[in-house]
Amino acid sequence: MTVEHGMRAWTRRHVMAAASVVALAIAAGGAPALAQDKPFAGTKLTFWGGLIFSEAANKLLVEAVEAWGEANGVETDVVMINQNEMVQKLSAAVESKTLPDAVDLSLELLLVLSRQGVFVPLDDVYEAVGKAQGGWYEAVDKASDTSAVASGRTGLPFGVTGNLLLRRTDLLGAAGFDKAPATWDELVAQSAAVTEAPVSGLGLALSNVGDGNVQVSVMQSFGGRIADDTGKTVTIKSDATRAYLTWLKNAWDKGVFPPGNATWDGAGDNQAYLSGQAAFIANTGSVGLAAKSQDPELYETTGYSPLPAGSVGTISPIMLQMRAIPAASKNQAAAKALLAHLSEPAFTSAYYASAIYGPVLQAEAKLPAFDGSDPIHAGLLDLVKNGSAPGYPDVYNAAFADAFSNFIIPKMAQRVVIDGWDFDKAMDEAQTQAQAIYDKY
Amino acid sequence: MSSSAEPQAAPRAGRWLTASRRMHLFAYALVLPAIALILGLVAYPFLYAIYVAFTDRMVGSAGNWVGFANFRYLAGTAVFSSAIWNTVVLVVVTDILKLLIGLGLALLVNQHLPGRGLFRAFLMLPWAMPAFVAFLTWRVLYQPIGGGLNLILTQTGIYPHVIDWLGKRETAMPSVILASVWRGFPFWFISILAALQSIPKDLYEAARVDGANAWQRFWMVTFPGIRQVLIVTTLLSSIWTANAFEHVWLLTQGGPSDATMVFPVLAYFGMQTQRIGEAAAVSVAMLPVLAILVIIATSMLQKDED
Repeated sequence: MTVEHGMRAWTRRHVMAAASVVALAIAAGGAPALAQDKPFAGTKLTFWGGLIFSEAANKLLVEAVEAWGEANGVETDVVMINQNEMVQKLSAAVESKTLPDAVDLSLELLLVLSRQGVFVPLDDVYEAVGKAQGGWYEAVDKASDTSAVASGRTGLPFGVTGNLLLRRTDLLGAAGFDKAPATWDELVAQSAAVTEAPVSGLGLALSNVGDGNVQVSVMQSFGGRIADDTGKTVTIKSDATRAYLTWLKNAWDKGVFPPGNATWDGAGDNQAYLSGQAAFIANTGSVGLAAKSQDPELYETTGYSPLPAGSVGTISPIMLQMRAIPAASKNQAAAKALLAHLSEPAFTSAYYASAIYGPVLQAEAKLPAFDGSDPIHAGLLDLVKNGSAPGYPDVYNAAFADAFSNFIIPKMAQRVVIDGWDFDKAMDEAQTQAQAIYDKY
Repeated sequence: MSSSAEPQAAPRAGRWLTASRRMHLFAYALVLPAIALILGLVAYPFLYAIYVAFTDRMVGSAGNWVGFANFRYLAGTAVFSSAIWNTVVLVVVTDILKLLIGLGLALLVNQHLPGRGLFRAFLMLPWAMPAFVAFLTWRVLYQPIGGGLNLILTQTGIYPHVIDWLGKRETAMPSVILASVWRGFPFWFISILAALQSIPKDLYEAARVDGANAWQRFWMVTFPGIRQVLIVTTLLSSIWTANAFEHVWLLTQGGPSDATMVFPVLAYFGMQTQRIGEAAAVSVAMLPVLAILVIIATSMLQKDED
């Protein structure tokens, strides 16, 4: 009895003591330990994602952000916005002070808005993510450096895009062309050979949309430049630009461009290719992805190659998709954690397989999406390894991004082929307009 | 002293706040919310836009006062001159066409014809259709390959070649005008029809008795009866057409080159490049033209009332 009583008494004391220790532990150290597990618990985070051509990729992104929110006790609100409308949405949000906590945007827009101090530096996240995944690709590292316009790196790259040349191998094969055109002149020759209504060979946009800016690369491949090496003095009017315009006018006069290409919207070239009205287009690969599901036959007969070369070589610039955190965000720490999370292979492995982006980190090249089985992803991997830096050989600064957004070169092209202006008059106008833009920076 | 002053002040206040003044104050109090709304929703944005037009403001920056620099820059660009000319052409030609079609149809439907109720409803369809849908449909119709207009022309043998309606400088503006007229004529039609129905039939009887022919009856009876409606309709239609964005944006985005560039699209391009000051300057540059239109229309209406 005594023993039993003694044991019971000891046990009760033991239990009480143990309970006290646990309570103390929770009070003194346990609670912070739990808080460290979920340091952002109870907060809210709004994320604006860029809507891309792949529904599967969009779904993956939304689910990944929401799952991260649930795991961390953060209430997330994911808004997917058409990438073509991101400029307007972000501009309105900046003015009305209703910016989200994190946002996807193009490098051009990031550069312009970073000058106004809209985004916070992300150097710490950039370095940590790079260190964990074998480092950033050199071209990505250089291109995404915004320190010249802000107090550090204000964006975290998450995808590389760029233009590949898509071609109809069935039509071209029948016309005796088995290889992709190596030069712009070869491209026109091959286009002319397959141009017969309703097919027009050369489906390049000349309108005031992003696709029209492929003309900048074409001009640069003939040696033309928007500005000099200081990135301040505009040098559009040159013999090199004249050579580009000569090539363009000759191609136009041969009738190889599809009708309406001077007023195409952002989907004009996609539709022309998918509907069988163009034999060549320059595209990021989204059209190939669409063909894969909508028109497998077209997908099978589509060949991919780098952009052709001009008289001074090939200019095939990479374009970067970035993630940034507005300075107005009240949940910057959580947003940084989310951005780091979205750069981890657990997410990117599945995302890249569905999206149409090339890798930004060295380790990402080993992901299944880039094993070479898919020609679009293989082309994008090749682009990030061998493509030109954005704007190259021009200096990629905010003024260049602004001139790019103003479609200075496509407009010059339209002056020549639509309005029939002589080359000097068209170059003079482009030169004046571009210099007015550069003078603002 | 103070106790004796207070009773003296009360009667003075009482004399000032007469029944008539009380009535006026009450009336002012009633319209005060409306005035506050107009000041907040119309006057403030309007004046602020004018102010911004004189700054180099970009998205995210307050901007500095630059005087007329934005206007000088715009005046020096070929695209601004094109926008002025195109806007004037678009407004004048579409208004004339809408007037002719609206007036003609209203005169027709005002007759005692079988099924005219159905016909009236049918004519309102373009106006009832969302602009977005209407102009995208027109864009499809204008497509060079597979577009309805080219199919009709080639299949019927009227014109054997494909016409790039929106891609050629010569045909782009007429194509935009045609689509705009189609979408906008029902407003003219219904306005004129309403005015026609308010003209007393006795006037036509009297004119007939006096031996007036059809043209004289139209000129001496119908036209004076619908004159005021025509002025107001012209004013409204001109402002709407000059301010409209979707018809040009959805059809041509101002192209090819600047063949269909108009003020609202030019301002939108300014906004796309975050240069709010320049975009506001484009909008403000439209104001004198619209103000002149309003002044002319108002003075004509005033003259009629006098």
